[in-house]
Amino acid sequence: MAMSDEDLEKAIIEKAIKAPKPQLYIKDFYKCDPDSKARRIKNIANGLVNKGELMFWSSGSTTMYARPDRIKNEEGAEGIN
Amino acid sequence: MAKHDTPLLDELEKGPWPSFVTDIKRQAEKKPDCWDILGQLELSYKDRITHWKHGGIVGVFGYGGGIVGRYSDVPKQFPGVEHFHTVRVNQPASKYYSTENLRALMDLWEKHGSGMTNMHGSTGDIILLGCRTEALEPFFWDLTHEMGQDLGGSGSNLRTPANCLGQSRCEWSCYDTEEACHHLTMHYQDEIHRPAFPYKFKFKFSGCPNDCVAAAARSDFAVIGNWRDDIQIDQAAVKEYVAGNYPANGGSYSGKDWGPFSIKKEVLDLCPTECMWMEGDELKIDNAECTRCMHCINVMPRALRPGKVKGASISIGAKAPILDGAQFATLIIPFIEVSAENEFEGIIDVIEEVWDWWMTVGKNRERVGETMQRVGLPTFIKVMGLDPIPQHIKEPRSNPYVFWEEEEVEGGFERDVEEFRARHAA
Amino acid sequence: MGYDPANPMADRITDIGPPHYSKFHPPVIANNKGKWLWHEITQPGVLVHKAESGDECWTVRVGAARLISIELIREMCDIADAHCDGYLRFTTRNNVEFMVDDKAKVQPLLDDLASRGNKFPVGGTGAGVTNIVHTQGWVHCHTPATDASGVVKAVMDELFDYFVTMKLPAQVRVALACCLNMCGAVHASDIAILGVHRKPPMIDHSRITGVCELPLAISACPLGAVKPAKAEINGKEIKTVKVNVERCMFCGNCYTMCPAMPLADPEGDGIAILVGGKVSNSRSHPKFSKLVIPFLPNTPPRWPETVAAVKNILETYAADARKYERVGEWCERIGWEKFFEKTGIPFTIKSVDDYRLAYDTWRTTTQFKYTSHIK
Repeated sequence: MAMSDEDLEKAIIEKAIKAPKPQLYIKDFYKCDPDSKARRIKNIANGLVNKGELMFWSSGSTTMYARPDRIKNEEGAEGIN
Repeated sequence: MAKHDTPLLDELEKGPWPSFVTDIKRQAEKKPDCWDILGQLELSYKDRITHWKHGGIVGVFGYGGGIVGRYSDVPKQFPGVEHFHTVRVNQPASKYYSTENLRALMDLWEKHGSGMTNMHGSTGDIILLGCRTEALEPFFWDLTHEMGQDLGGSGSNLRTPANCLGQSRCEWSCYDTEEACHHLTMHYQDEIHRPAFPYKFKFKFSGCPNDCVAAAARSDFAVIGNWRDDIQIDQAAVKEYVAGNYPANGGSYSGKDWGPFSIKKEVLDLCPTECMWMEGDELKIDNAECTRCMHCINVMPRALRPGKVKGASISIGAKAPILDGAQFATLIIPFIEVSAENEFEGIIDVIEEVWDWWMTVGKNRERVGETMQRVGLPTFIKVMGLDPIPQHIKEPRSNPYVFWEEEEVEGGFERDVEEFRARHAA
Repeated sequence: MGYDPANPMADRITDIGPPHYSKFHPPVIANNKGKWLWHEITQPGVLVHKAESGDECWTVRVGAARLISIELIREMCDIADAHCDGYLRFTTRNNVEFMVDDKAKVQPLLDDLASRGNKFPVGGTGAGVTNIVHTQGWVHCHTPATDASGVVKAVMDELFDYFVTMKLPAQVRVALACCLNMCGAVHASDIAILGVHRKPPMIDHSRITGVCELPLAISACPLGAVKPAKAEINGKEIKTVKVNVERCMFCGNCYTMCPAMPLADPEGDGIAILVGGKVSNSRSHPKFSKLVIPFLPNTPPRWPETVAAVKNILETYAADARKYERVGEWCERIGWEKFFEKTGIPFTIKSVDDYRLAYDTWRTTTQFKYTSHIK
């Protein structure tokens, strides 16, 4: 059975805190709840960005997710999001 | 007054083609930061290397796309371009504009940015080139509140969809490309603005097999107009072409004397399926043999038109060479009706079938065409719930290594080697 | 009332998408959409579309740089206001189209455009060279192996005559991408100008820990040439990467994922030329562009070697191809050995594919032509 929204949010945040590397692909979150469809997990992760729990990290061509406090900025870069 | 000497760039003010250098200088008179664009570019011309740093992490809050961060690696020399972020604004379908709209957008960019643009970027967005990080949120506020406009996609998002101008000004378009493009752009706003996928995903909409928006070469999901009945013929117009009264190919060849028009040489003989012939002065087409390449229609636009039963072909998986080599899109759905009346339900069903599979099976940074290569077309056809048809391939495979499944083989794979040995000595 | 930094989320608007295209259709377009009968190019850069209603839409197409200022766009708006009821459009290939609903309005529009110096060249239609689609280059990108706008300007100056006339065997689509990422997707163009790197990435051990996630850099390499390694920085051992130079294909994908692996270089970088691609299904199937010149140096400001190479290919094709034949169709009819002979481009081993799917390009028939390549 798929997790509740609340439990899934908690699992995603925990994954973002504990993962060895700070940037995570959306696919890395799929494992948080194998019973949920990929698009639901994507929606929950994007919701967490709106709540400030996660941020988008972009190489320009690829977008990943991270905990804001785990991200090292390029010199001069003032990441806000 | 020029802020930097630009002897190398000044060479690009010569010649008949419009000069971007002259244009930037003109803009610099109003937006002095543009002098630093020229200054840094001149340095690149001298050093023969870029002076832009790897992008930083910038965006507007809540969006995972639409802004590409950019910083100068020589900011002390060129403070005007220290931050020089790109803003992608979603273009209106077909790229028609009212001057009222375009002027308002330019005013906004004068207020917040460098004053330089690309009309348009490769994917189709309006590219506003160069602004500071602190200008991003105010710009986005004004763009949404004052203009009622929005950003396009970047990163692992659905990229901004694009279309050829279609029925708006072309007689060949087999469906309403601009309505399809606009409708799906609105339908998938979340996917355009927030990452959803293993990597980028592009839709493009062309109205006919001429494919003016290059959908088959560069979009993950190409919707290319097509028809399934007979080419419409106006025999009176055919006679006019034969008589030399109408110019071949809509006048495309008027700059050189290619001799009198020959319907045999220029149309019948160039038909790839040899399905056309003349009976007296009547043009005949064996439409069952026609592959709708468009050549005859291109050459005689007043005489020939696509059929009346119109729709589109859907091809999936095109991409530029990075990394496994270039791919054209593979024909998956030969013909589908495309209708705004059912809100493009048929296309949406196919899109979501692809996404549900690729989001799970696709590896990180793998385009859907690469995933298809990796798992094989047979698997993809099965995943899509389609019957395999010869239209999916150019030719049958030439190796015999079929991945038979156990249930396809009588008696299955499990056998008793003891029993085998009882009848066959080792 | 504008953006309030103290309260960024108040009254925020998101996900509204682009304006509906129908707001921007000129009346003659809005009235006749879906009811067009035929079109004709009456002179280079001027098209007429005839509708069932009898209405005519006359379009004047002008070339523009892709990199343009808001001042120039405002000037385009002035022209559209004066002649076109306040509407204009852009094409996929960075051309601008001014549309009027009456033949009588065409000449005044052309005169106006001509009066503005060389800013608005009319052309880009039919059997000619239309505008070059291209990428950002040194003007705005961090990975380019060459500039884009400058090379395009130099090439278009030289090909200008083919933009304003229609005397080629077919349309010729030229495209430029300033690195192998090909965000401009030049891989199906008649003539493609492509920026290439030729030196493997350097590794900035002192910065790699700060700016890179090593697993991302390692997995970015399509040939597994980037491996984990250790280095000593200020007497301290750090984790870093090394590059197996023999396996490097200079794609730059590692630099995309890791800023501490720069590979651009003034001597290493330059331009490759590919030919014979097409997108349209007309007559023959779509084709990829093929690499015929592996490297030309970066020679700003006007890249004479690249300009000469493009012009040579174009003019050899123009003199030899049949009517309607695209560059790729011509190459296939005469054979690639003849292409190299006729253009005088030296054939090198760099044109023999040794990447994935390479075998598809190797010749497996005894059908060939005797050219000077056979000694």
